[in-house]
This record gives sequence, C-alpha cells and structure tokens, in this order.
Amino acid sequence: MSVRAFWNSVKEGFQGIVRHPLVTVASISTILLMLLLMAVFFIFSANARYIMRKVGQQPPIEVYMKIGCTQEQMDMTVNYLQSNTDKIKGYYGMSPEENYTRFRKELGDESSILDDFDYNSYLPYTVNVQLTDPQYADTVVMELRAIPGVEKVMQESNVMKFLTQATRTVNIATVISFIVLFLISLFIISNMVRISVFSRSTEIAIMKFVGATNGYIRLPYIVEGAIVGLISALCAWGLSYLAYSEIFSRAMTNVDSGSIYALLPMGNLSIYVFILCLTSGIFIGSIGSGIAVRKYVKV
Amino acid sequence: MLRFENVHKTYKTGTDALRGVNFIIEDGEFVFIIGKSGSGKSTLMKCITREERPTEGMVLIDRFNISKMSRALVPVLRRQIGIIYQDFRLIETKTVAENIAFAGEIIGIPKKRLNQMVDIVLGAVGLREKANSMPLELSGGEQQRVAIARAMLNSPKMIVADEPTGNLDPETSESIMALLLEINRTGTTVIVCTHDSNMVDRMQKRVIEVEDGLIVRDERGAGYTAEVEPEQPDLPKSMQDEFDSEESGEKKEAEVLPEFPPNRGENEK
Repeated sequence: MSVRAFWNSVKEGFQGIVRHPLVTVASISTILLMLLLMAVFFIFSANARYIMRKVGQQPPIEVYMKIGCTQEQMDMTVNYLQSNTDKIKGYYGMSPEENYTRFRKELGDESSILDDFDYNSYLPYTVNVQLTDPQYADTVVMELRAIPGVEKVMQESNVMKFLTQATRTVNIATVISFIVLFLISLFIISNMVRISVFSRSTEIAIMKFVGATNGYIRLPYIVEGAIVGLISALCAWGLSYLAYSEIFSRAMTNVDSGSIYALLPMGNLSIYVFILCLTSGIFIGSIGSGIAVRKYVKV
Repeated sequence: MLRFENVHKTYKTGTDALRGVNFIIEDGEFVFIIGKSGSGKSTLMKCITREERPTEGMVLIDRFNISKMSRALVPVLRRQIGIIYQDFRLIETKTVAENIAFAGEIIGIPKKRLNQMVDIVLGAVGLREKANSMPLELSGGEQQRVAIARAMLNSPKMIVADEPTGNLDPETSESIMALLLEINRTGTTVIVCTHDSNMVDRMQKRVIEVEDGLIVRDERGAGYTAEVEPEQPDLPKSMQDEFDSEESGEKKEAEVLPEFPPNRGENEK
C-alpha cells in the first residue's frame, strides 16, 4: 500500500466517525463502560495489593537471639539479613536495653516494677524482619532458625498465609476480569461496527472490484475503531480520576497517610489507569472493527 | 488472451453452474455472452473476475492460471480488468470525479497525474462538465458512462460488462454500446454479458451462448439466435414418400384432383 493510499484510508477513518454519529456514540458509550469497569477493577486491586503489601511488611517475623550469644553469631544473623535483599525489605535490631526501655514504656505508670530488673540476664537481642513479599515467610523463618545463636523465630503464620492467598486471589481475579471484560467489549464493539460496515457494504463491494486490497478496505474501519477507542479511553480515565479523587478525599479525611488502611492517592495511580484505558480502548476499538469488517472484505 | 479450459463450477448447494466450458477470447475481441437466466453466464463472468473459483478446470489470462492464484493477487488481477455492472455501482457520497479517481487512489497514482487521467476518461465518455456532480444527479445513461470511465481509468486490457444496458432505454443503450465499441477499437478486449437481443443482432459480433452450464454456440459475426436452415414441415407419410421419390428422380404421373373450392364461374355457365 502506498503512502498516499494509507493516508487516504486514515482520512476515510475520520470521516467514518461523523458519517454514522449514532453508531459512533453507541460504540463510545460501550467501550467507555467497559473501560470504567476495568479501571474500577484495576484501582481496587491496586489498593488491595498496596494494603496487603503494607500489612506484609509489618514485622510479623521476630528473631530472638540466645541470651549471651556471641558477637560472631550476631554478625552471622545480620549478614544473612543483609545478603537476602530480594526477600528481606528491611530489619531493625533491638538490644536488651532497648527491649527493656520499650517494656517500661508499654507498662506506663506501672513501669516501676522493673526498676531493679537485670535486663542483660533475662532479655535477649531481638531482630524484627520486614519481608518484600509475604510468600517468602516460610523460607526466611527456616533459614533464620538454622543460624547458630538464634533461639527462636516467631512468625504469625496464619496472617502470612492469608495475606499470600489474598494477594494471589486478587491478582487472579483482576486478570480474569480483564480478560472477560475485554472479550465482552470486543464482541459488542464488533457487532456495533458491523452495522456501520453493513450500511457501507456496497461501497466495500465497489472497492473490491476496482482492485482494493483487504488491508486498504479494512484500514479506515480500524482507524475509525481506534479513534472511538481513544475517545472512550480519555472519557473513562477522566471519569475514574474524578470519582476516585472524590472517594479518596472523603475516605481519607480521618486516616493517616502512613496507616495500613490508607488508600493509594490518585496521583500515583492515574498514569497507570491512563495507560490501561488508552491501550485497552484503542486495542478493543481497532480489533473489534477489524473483526467486524473481515466478513465483508473476503475477495 | 482469455482461455477457459474444461471449467466446471459446482456451488455448495450442489448446483452445477458450469459443466465443462471451453473457449478462447483473443486480445482485442468484442464478445457477447448470452443465455437464459440461470444458464451459467453470470458464473462464467465471475470466474473471469475471480469472484468465483472453478471447482475444476482452468481460467487463464495471458497464460496465467487465475483460478489457482492466491487471494493476495486477486486485487492485482482486478486492476487489469475493468468491470461494469447493470446497477452502475457508484459511491453515492462521492462526486463523479471522485468515483473515478477512487480506482486510481487504490493503486496510489500521484494526485496530479490522477486528476489528469480522470479528466481524460471523463472527456472520453463525454461527461467532463459533470465532474463535480453527485451520481444521483445523473441519468442512468450518464451513471453508466461514469462506471465505464472508472473501468477505463487504469487502461485495462479487458473490460467485462455484466448487463451494462439492462437498466437503460434503447437509445441510451445504443450510445453505451457505441462507447464500448470505441474502447474495443483501441485494442481493449470487451466481454459483454447481455439479454439485449436487438443489440446483439445489430452489432454482429462474436456470440458465445451458454445453456445449462455448457457452451452451445460460439459464432463470429452472429446475432442473438442461431441462423439455421429452414426445416421441411412434417408431411403425411404418403406425401413424404412422394417427395422422396421425386427427390430420387422417379416421377409419377400427376393425379388429377378435384379443384376445391370448385370454380364458381364455370358452374354458372
């Protein structure tokens, strides 16, 4: 196809949008609804994963060193934590003295009972471990237990298992919902465009007998579909942005941004939602149109 | 050269549209394809434009077997053939000039050259002043002229016209045929599928008649119906014997038969 023929097809695609305004509006509305649903799923799953990640990063793993452990044993534990950055996001250690101070603080007014407490004889060094992903919990616990000098490793295993399972479920649900929504919207769009294609079937027949290639006949419809998808994507992104910003501002008035219940601000999400809407919209529009016109262009 | 070699076409419904068609059309010929409705002539035309693919046999254009060609090459074939239909098939939303230019745009002819070519073919069909009119503003004859102009644009080697005068009055049909004849004189092969017996009779060109999927007549300089020697009327057996004997030289004496009706004048005497 020559460059001139290509640009002619693109021009025809733009003209097609205004040629059948009702079909265009119906197509835009359908894709818009589908993209809105996709955006809602995406925002929900992003927030669910964000919260779970924060919960997972709370120190559910606590390492208790043996009382009187050697410096070498302490160093081995620290070395392990520093060398496994893929699994361990961070850690912080507390000396017996720091643990003692914390207990006193937690006891508040009754802290005086610990006045004569010999913390060096009874309190161990402890290390709180933050994981990059809750799924590494079992491995990290097992490996920490094998280090000499480690007395015990406390793990809130049920919470961790729930978090791992929940994250997986949300991810799978998001992917499945995307596929289902994508296929539904593709089906609806291809049927809508078919109406527009049918009304131009004579024109297509003429194009065929004067020697137009399948690509030349299809391209205007694909361009038309892509433009419809683009408009739908921009509308879906704008609406989801406004709606989520409103929900965020209402829901977060009394919640600290550092809290595990804090939602992701739209500023962080908007670019991903934009990319998702744009790619899905253009893809659904163009492929849907391409499928619709396929039947009519067989030479 | 267009050549049909033992072409069969059976549709999925089981209908045998063509049952072993053979003919050759040389370059520059003017040929009428005639036949009753359902005889297979439209299928034959569709095999030339590759709208249909023969189930058996070969359709060759310049020794190239178009019945076996890939789908990707079909548009290339159609650019070599100008196709004209009974219903003109013009795009109603485009002007006359745009309808014609459309065939050139598809193959990417530069705009300036395309405009010149459109002007030339519009001049050839006598519609230069209608270049900016919409198809629906034109008469049937003018619309068919636009369709012919579009078919001429790419200087095709062959023009295939399926009932080009089917929707036109006799006078306009005459002018359309004159135009096709003019195109034929430039060396373009013209194949016209028609029911217009008067037209075929007047033009006395090659006629290929299709009946029940077979070629029943292929005659040059012919009319719509075959010229056959007048047959003897059926005679009674006795008369037939007499006729045969006369033919063989045995002459009998003529029997005197009473005149009927009797000569009224003689009786009155």
